[in-house]
Amino acid sequence: MLSVRQVSVRYGRSVRALQDVTFEVPDGQIVAVLGSNGAGKSTLLRAISGTLRLHRGALTGGQVVHDGTRIDRMDPAAIVRRGVVQVPEGRQIFTRMTVEENLRAGGLVTPAKRRAAARDRVFALFPQLAERAKQSGAVLSGGEQQMLAIGRALMCEPRVLLLDEPSLGLAPQLVSRIAGIITEINDGGTAVVLVEQNATMALRVAHRAVALEVGELRLSGTADELARSDDVQRLYLGGHAESEAEAAAAAEHRPRRPRLRVWSG
Amino acid sequence: MSDSNRAAGDMVPGDGRWWRIGRVAGAALLIVVLLALPLYLPGEWLKVGTWMMTGAVGALGLTLLTGQAGQLSLAHGFFLLVGAVSYAVLSGPAGDPTYIGFGLPPVVGLLGAVLISGLAGAAFAPVSGRLRGIYLGVASLALVFLGFWLGRALPAVAGSTSSGRLPQPFSIFGLSVDVSRQLSSLSVFGVPLGRDERTWYLYLLLTAIAYLLAQGAVSGRPGRAWRAVRDNETAATVLGVSVVRVKAGVFAISSAYAGLAGVMTAWWTGIMKPDESEVAGSYGVTVSIAFLAMIVVGGLGSLPGAVLGAALVFGLPVALPLLTQSASADIGSGTAFSPIVITNFAYGALIVLIILFEPSGMAGLGRRLLGPARART
Ligand SMILES: Nc1ncnc2c1ncn2[C@@H]1O[C@H](COP(=O)(O)OP(=O)(O)OP(=O)(O)O)[C@@H](O)[C@H]1O
Ligand SMILES: [Mg+2]
Repeated sequence: MLSVRQVSVRYGRSVRALQDVTFEVPDGQIVAVLGSNGAGKSTLLRAISGTLRLHRGALTGGQVVHDGTRIDRMDPAAIVRRGVVQVPEGRQIFTRMTVEENLRAGGLVTPAKRRAAARDRVFALFPQLAERAKQSGAVLSGGEQQMLAIGRALMCEPRVLLLDEPSLGLAPQLVSRIAGIITEINDGGTAVVLVEQNATMALRVAHRAVALEVGELRLSGTADELARSDDVQRLYLGGHAESEAEAAAAAEHRPRRPRLRVWSG
Repeated sequence: MSDSNRAAGDMVPGDGRWWRIGRVAGAALLIVVLLALPLYLPGEWLKVGTWMMTGAVGALGLTLLTGQAGQLSLAHGFFLLVGAVSYAVLSGPAGDPTYIGFGLPPVVGLLGAVLISGLAGAAFAPVSGRLRGIYLGVASLALVFLGFWLGRALPAVAGSTSSGRLPQPFSIFGLSVDVSRQLSSLSVFGVPLGRDERTWYLYLLLTAIAYLLAQGAVSGRPGRAWRAVRDNETAATVLGVSVVRVKAGVFAISSAYAGLAGVMTAWWTGIMKPDESEVAGSYGVTVSIAFLAMIVVGGLGSLPGAVLGAALVFGLPVALPLLTQSASADIGSGTAFSPIVITNFAYGALIVLIILFEPSGMAGLGRRLLGPARART
């Protein structure tokens, strides 16, 4: 269980990015974080992964607790070793390395014995990456880079995966592939915090959801509740291609989705 | 993918059986040649070789820092000084009235000097762990000036500027490097092994150890962490790499390499004394830049490249006088175009050419030439 308790974050002296945000990520669940641009979604993930300092930000209040231990004062490396792993905004792959070397860099904290198995699972999840293993990260398409970024994080054998807008800039077909992959990862027992602008997709795969607005938590509940709520309909679902009814229906069908067995190491 | 698309310094896994056999055979041949050279070369040419090896050890350390981890350092000269002084003090005679010495065996002095240089590099962690690239380069420059000032302020340690102190020649189990050829009781195929021959073998051993350790680090976990930090600090951080610790660590390792090169410098020159000015001399800014030139010419991050670059940058200035001497005695002396000036121009021009036409240096050139051979297998 990962709990975020009354967390407040500031960048520099003046920018208040989060205020008193509280929510929980139960083991093995997907929690969607919705919100418009600048709402503080990425900031929330940085607060959990301990990487605020890379962006000149700092926690000014509250705690982040993982399995009963406070992790908000920990070094980012220690948080990764606990199994809380972030896929940052904008992919951030190593462009001077091949796909395979990228994955190896992801497995740096993983014991050597388990690394090969982790890589096999990543290749099973993303067959394209296996095909392009020897190619440079720089020549991958945007979608492939996103897969590589997720695959690389999976090399750390995460128990909680923090995904920052994995569908950004991807074609609709690829968005539903990513959605399927998130579900598959979750089926293996990994909890996921999914930051998304694409609320339709996020609410379809998530168990629970929260909505941020200008740094504060506005809504939280199960994905179905949020998909039906008027506020969410109006704010986050209105602008997407799929109709509202479809989204609500999809959310209802979620528990009976087909289960793939790949991610079950 | 063609090899030229590869970033400099990335390991090229040898694929194909013939390629691998060729590599092993090439390495074996190289070792045999290097071991046999002292039997054929005169002492003055062996000194050219040992000077190249001194450069190679320093360049290996710097290419780990700059090529693999993307951190710039202009303090290499300073750590050379730390290594040389540490050795002189640790192994210096204990009862000397003018110079401080601990009278330790040379092996202990050597290991201690490498250790102290590494620790001095580690002590720079608050700076080396936080700054990146060129900012670290400029900050590290301060160390060179600190070293220059300390060297002059502490003549009892670093040797006086006028006469200097003598670094203890290396010896182990009663076997000394410092034996003249005439008195040598050790010979191979009838060739007596004197000072120059013994120094050659000692330097060859030290360089080989330095090379193999670097190779192990580059292809193992440390190398992956270095390249991750070099390519993208944010990505490295979220994957559990402690960026500050990795940067500080590689700086310390690179300093230890420089320290070893410093000991080799002191032995080679036969005297330990601080530089006359901040820029010129054995431990100043010029030397730091010469090491940068080596790794750029060789190809950033490439270990064979660093060795080749060292052979060129350190080798030419000492080899050229020997060549011109034997050709005609009066070239060079008294004119503006002394061999040193010529070689400085030569490698200055070479660096410009390489940056323009082959940014991955001699290593990139080698990969391009050997690429077809590997693809055919
Ligand atoms: N490095 C930074 N320095 C100063 N302010 C920042 C920094 N990063 C983010 N902010 C501010 O913090 C607020 C929240 O930013 P954040 O990146 O968390 O938003 P977001 O919800 O992820 O937005 P988006 O959907 O555009 O990615 C914004 O007002 C932003 O301007
Ligand atoms: Mg964001």
